[in-house]
Amino acid sequence: MSGASSRGRAAVLRNRLVLPTLGAIVLLAAWQATVTLYSLPIVVLPPPWQVATTLVDLFGTAAFWRSVGVSLYEFAGGYVAGVLLGVVVGLAMGESRTIRAVATPVVESLRFIVPFAWIPLTVLWFGTSLVGKIVLVAYAVFFVMTVATLRAVQNVEPTLTRVATMLGMARWQRAVRVHLRAAAPSIASGARAAAALGWIAVVAAEYIGSSAGLGFMITNAAMSLATGVVIAGMIVIGLIGAAVSALIAWLSRTRLAHR
Amino acid sequence: MTTASAQAAATPGRRVAHWRRARRLPGWVLGSVGVIVALAAWIALSQLLAGGGGVINRLPGPAAVLRELVAYASRDLLTDVAASLRVFGIGWSLGVFAATGIGLLLGRLPALGHTFLPIIEAIRPVSSIAWVPLSVVWFGFGLTGKVFLVGLAVFLVVIVYAVDGCTRIPDDLARTASMLGMSAWQRFRALILPGTLAEVLIGSRVALMAGWGTVIVAELVAADSGLGAHLIAVQQSYDVPAVMATMACFGITGFVMNGVFSLVEARLMPWRPRASGRAT
Repeated sequence: MSGASSRGRAAVLRNRLVLPTLGAIVLLAAWQATVTLYSLPIVVLPPPWQVATTLVDLFGTAAFWRSVGVSLYEFAGGYVAGVLLGVVVGLAMGESRTIRAVATPVVESLRFIVPFAWIPLTVLWFGTSLVGKIVLVAYAVFFVMTVATLRAVQNVEPTLTRVATMLGMARWQRAVRVHLRAAAPSIASGARAAAALGWIAVVAAEYIGSSAGLGFMITNAAMSLATGVVIAGMIVIGLIGAAVSALIAWLSRTRLAHR
Repeated sequence: MTTASAQAAATPGRRVAHWRRARRLPGWVLGSVGVIVALAAWIALSQLLAGGGGVINRLPGPAAVLRELVAYASRDLLTDVAASLRVFGIGWSLGVFAATGIGLLLGRLPALGHTFLPIIEAIRPVSSIAWVPLSVVWFGFGLTGKVFLVGLAVFLVVIVYAVDGCTRIPDDLARTASMLGMSAWQRFRALILPGTLAEVLIGSRVALMAGWGTVIVAELVAADSGLGAHLIAVQQSYDVPAVMATMACFGITGFVMNGVFSLVEARLMPWRPRASGRAT
């Protein structure tokens, strides 16, 4: 019995720790080998350790933290606005057949103009200011949240609606206190997808018309052929994206723990 | 008619329901009301902003955008769309093929899977859009860099579905296969490959919009051909109607692609309930 469990623990150790570490080593070795074998210049592909030192150097500069702050500020502003608006519109569309019929064609046709296509227009409208990016993130997040909320509300267990009606709840009470609550977990997973899209929309918007932020930092680095900074910036963008996603998952787990 | 109204009159509850149903307008009427209201709001806003925009007409009305769209369509819309679709098509097919092959490999050989899937999981949160500057350094502004980006975007989406599809073969099917004494190759052909391909099909639909979004960003940054290059060109001449017309082209192309793929999907997997368009 104990032999079987220790064998099981060994397998877990192998699969969770040894093999992934091996994979990471293989990747880094292949990277290093490519650089040495083809004697690639640093401009094309810096070796791994150099990217690591670049990353550490970046952490020490104020400009880097300013870029991170600007990008996060743009993201947070647009995300909050987009989520709130999207949930309200999605809930209204889910509750009323008339609102749904009126809004669906407009929402569906705008939804196909992906947020990235709006970037040049937001530059014309708002210049390189932060407002343009906030609007863009809000737009990106709004449609994801509208659709997610609408689907979640429509999939609420019909018995709950009947119980609420029987208890004599008013329509808006039923919407907010029954439907919204029952739909909350699905809406939360929509909010996670929206965060990933919104974060990358910030980065993309910063490529094209901006004077600050992480996206601006790495396009600038690319133009001056500082490839190490480009890769370090990509790593930071990925880490922040993963962190935001984990934060929202944690929030929805702890806040919605009662169900 | 008379019996219906008599029945409706019989119970008050039913009468209300009947009255409601009669008053409810058909969906298309309400839908067009929505579109008309949106257009009216757009026109009103454009009138309101017409005076104060300075040199740039910041919000042209729908008519101006439509005129611009027609003008663009009569000039080089088709060549631009073709260039964008070429990038998309090559990148998307490469991404789907690579993801299917590597997914099967990593899914069926657990040792390989445990070794390399964590790396893929670590790369996944770095959206392909974050790779744009690096691809400019590596490949310059040509076709290769954009194909690389689209392929990467599609690969990172589809690989998850491919691995899922080939590891989650239903138990009863696997038992049936071993009961029938299938060889490893037969089992692969009849069981694993179809299961994986069905998941890959779903994944490649999700990847459709991820790939299309990447094409847009790649063309905006490395603006040498395609719809994105045109969008940047008209933006730099402050031609707002043309910018909006080009955005509409992006939307229409994405919509058509989604529709075509839905048809293909319904044809290939008739047993699956039809999913409505997932744009993001």
